Amino acid sequence: MTTAEIVRPPAAPAGTTRRIPAGIRLTWLHLRSRRVPAGVLGLAVCGGVLRVALHWHWAFNSGPYAQQLPMIIEAGAAAVIVVAAHSLFGETERSAGRWLPYLRLFAAAGMCGLAIALLQLGAAGEGLNEGVLVLSRNVIGITGIGLLCSLVTGGLLAWTLPMGYLVFCQYALLQAWTAPWTWPVRPPADRGAWICACAVFTAGLLLFTIRGPRTFLSDPS
Amino acid sequence: MNIEISGVTRRFGRNLAVAGVDVEIGPGVFGLLGPNGAGKTTLLRMMATVITPSAGTLRLLGRDPVRYEPRREIRRRLGYLPQNLGYYPGFTVVEFVEYFALLKQVPPARVAAAVAAAVERVDLGGKARAKLRTLSGGMLRRVGIAQAIVNEPGLLLLDEPTAGLDPEQRVAFRGLLRDLGQRATVVVSTHLVEDVGAACTEVALMDAGKIVFHGTPAELTARGEGTTTAGDAPLERGYSAVLLESRS
Amino acid sequence: MTAAGISLRPGPATARRMARVAAAGRLLRLELKRNAVPYVLPLLAAAFYFDTVRTADGFPPVWTLRASVIGDHMLFEFSAFAAGLAAWAGSRERRRKTLDMAATTPRAAWARLSVTLAGTLCWLLLALLAGVAVLYIQTALQATWGGPPLWPVFVGAAGVTAVTMIGFTCGVVFPGRFTAPLVAIGVLVLYQTGLRQALGVTSSSGTYALLSPANAPPSVDAGVYYHLAPDVPITQVMFMGGIAIALLGVLGLVAALRQPASAGGLRSLRAALARSDGWLLRGVAVILVACGVAASWTAFALAGTAKPDATGGWQIPALHSAASDHPMPVTQDCTSSGFGVCVHPAFSFYLHDLAAALDPVAAEIAGLPGAPTRAEEVASVSGGQDVQSGISGNPPVFEFTAERVGSMFGQFYGIPDPVGWREGFQQGLLDAFLTGRPPHAGTVPIQLGAAQQAVEDALLTTAGTNLSATIGTMLQNGQPVAGPPAAVSAAHRFATLSAGARHAWLAAHLAALRTGKITLAQIP
Repeated sequence: MTTAEIVRPPAAPAGTTRRIPAGIRLTWLHLRSRRVPAGVLGLAVCGGVLRVALHWHWAFNSGPYAQQLPMIIEAGAAAVIVVAAHSLFGETERSAGRWLPYLRLFAAAGMCGLAIALLQLGAAGEGLNEGVLVLSRNVIGITGIGLLCSLVTGGLLAWTLPMGYLVFCQYALLQAWTAPWTWPVRPPADRGAWICACAVFTAGLLLFTIRGPRTFLSDPS
Repeated sequence: MNIEISGVTRRFGRNLAVAGVDVEIGPGVFGLLGPNGAGKTTLLRMMATVITPSAGTLRLLGRDPVRYEPRREIRRRLGYLPQNLGYYPGFTVVEFVEYFALLKQVPPARVAAAVAAAVERVDLGGKARAKLRTLSGGMLRRVGIAQAIVNEPGLLLLDEPTAGLDPEQRVAFRGLLRDLGQRATVVVSTHLVEDVGAACTEVALMDAGKIVFHGTPAELTARGEGTTTAGDAPLERGYSAVLLESRS
Repeated sequence: MTAAGISLRPGPATARRMARVAAAGRLLRLELKRNAVPYVLPLLAAAFYFDTVRTADGFPPVWTLRASVIGDHMLFEFSAFAAGLAAWAGSRERRRKTLDMAATTPRAAWARLSVTLAGTLCWLLLALLAGVAVLYIQTALQATWGGPPLWPVFVGAAGVTAVTMIGFTCGVVFPGRFTAPLVAIGVLVLYQTGLRQALGVTSSSGTYALLSPANAPPSVDAGVYYHLAPDVPITQVMFMGGIAIALLGVLGLVAALRQPASAGGLRSLRAALARSDGWLLRGVAVILVACGVAASWTAFALAGTAKPDATGGWQIPALHSAASDHPMPVTQDCTSSGFGVCVHPAFSFYLHDLAAALDPVAAEIAGLPGAPTRAEEVASVSGGQDVQSGISGNPPVFEFTAERVGSMFGQFYGIPDPVGWREGFQQGLLDAFLTGRPPHAGTVPIQLGAAQQAVEDALLTTAGTNLSATIGTMLQNGQPVAGPPAAVSAAHRFATLSAGARHAWLAAHLAALRTGKITLAQIP
């Protein structure tokens, strides 16, 4: 045995070479570790509930009440996205290499896009009151709040602040508030609301990408 | 005999984790050795009444754990430390042990004293009020042992109890085991043969779901004498010899 | 046997019972200390302030009205967090990997889970009661009549309990990371759907939606002139309580089935049942499920029999007490000088503001045929029909309700908004005077002709009212619209006359004006 055999790893046996590129494999494993497949199912459930709600007129057709139910479902989708941010691995993962921030960014942004697509699919043909623009704005804005919350509470409880914001917005909806930081209740063309929602999402996504959700030594593994 | 196991098997789907075990265990410290995946934890969990056997009979403390009332009675006198210790991070040491003391129906009037005694016995008196999230892995393990012994069990089942303990604590823990073994049946599942050698009066070696050796540590050591099997200590060599024999 | 022979120590059975109670108390104390709910209370308090408190502040200080926010708003906020946090608590043994350790203890799994549930529920109910206390204290400091109603509190507590049970059971059965947020959202969707259905309830559409604790705010004088029948709250409490009880029983059955199965199939089911908490506890669980389902089903059936009552609410015949159909005896609060205004003591808060608003307008028309000598508040519902304001009696009295004054709805909601409510009451009085309409049942508001509107605008102007703040000058399809230039011009002309000239013209032409025979050109 020489050191050459140690320095040069042996060739893989024939037929065992992976066809899947390492980057895709890593991404897939990362998504699985975050229970993203189950999260996608959760988002699909949200889309389904939205479709049923619109079809069977669970929501009001017009007026201030009309946006209440879609807003709740959009917040639910955002909550699913942020809960999927929870990491099982804690410090082991953080010290493992440089790809983690990119994986986080991809997972969060990807799930956001998927949520908008699935909700829009659910609302297709059913007459969503304020349309897809408000739906998108709500999902990304509330997801931003949840991602910011995850920096403090960790991923598993990151749904609490979006829930509080939802309750607050329900009141703002009925009182017809116009402040841009109540973007879920603003009309689709409200520029201030868009700026606010995008700013919150950007800040949340950025901090989440860099720092990741808070982890505790006692987190369940 | 406090534990009577006869023809017990346990399946998980197609996986036969325990493949027919017969053993009787009386008072004292009983060591359960074996490689990873041998079925030690599964056997221990059956003794702890967490899971039921797929076949065979099991009697604990003279009772049949299948029926509800006997099972409750067994659990009042049972202490169990699983391999993966779960805990509530916001609890203090005392609160955690108290919680399990109450679940084990230790009389309320005696809970405080029992908790204090258990915490002292594992040498965590100085950390009694510390929150669990602030403790090291070894200290958490000792907290787990404390909750297992708080009700002065007649049957104590410990799965990898010394994982994370430093050598000094392991020596102290062996002393604790010998002390407990004078009054109760203690079953210790472990990889560490030196723990078995130091504290156990009887030892069984499991492999592939079966018991391949049952005797005293001295007898296990004797099995390795005169062989060239792997091992840095006589007991390890005996362990390796038995495994080799059972697999050939 | 002498007294000395009687032992003062409790017997064995009593001692065992006391020991069980003491142990349960200690377990509950541990649970209360480490529950997650207190950490979320600040967020819940903020939501409570922004939604419930601010909404209640906008309501007149009438007890039934303020208490309605418990079902309409508080329950929404609490549902959001109660369901999610309860699911979080229910999944804890799995998340923290203490299930194996806890499963080897003699206490029934159901008992163990019940302690966790009780701790979570205690915190949530305490928070609810604290919120109700804030609401009721605030109302007590402002209300001038009546006392705190208890049924809304019972409904709120039943709602929180039901939602907590739903969340907890979901957490036990599905201890995954997505359970808490999805359950929270699911409960909110249920809540909003219930509200939607409840707002559309009519006796012909099916009244099952009355089971929803969320509803539109009641009329301003609900529970003021007549007792508010507790029929609907009783069915709501029964329905939600039944759900909670049934789920408690389900918890008892499901606790044993959580544990890992052995071989699968019938053997595993038998093994699971054998591992469960004994036949007695299982029997109790089954009974609880049956009782809970029966209670909810009964409430559902009762709600379907609801019909409108004479006071504007709903009654359920099987639960209804005829005593609530009789008006409550009350002595009205009245002003002692100027144009007499009388209100129900519940609205005494507004008496002097109201008198100050009506006095100048009443002075403009004093002495004219049909001019009211005083104004008196009456119930907004009579015989099951909405009452519209009007002038009747001899001497004439302007009767108005807290709900409707002239064509304006919910005038008392507007106070203390400085713009709008004053003009609304003034306009209501003049609407009735210029049309000569008596108070009557129905939903059709008063509609003035062009000449009547012009005269009204003129009288409001001379009474010192800013016309631009008037709530509409004409009604078209029930919506206020600006009057045509001719009407505005006629009003201006009439307003510039002297008080005596106006009075004399009205005395001569009032009858024709009321019957619509006067045109804009004929107004001087």
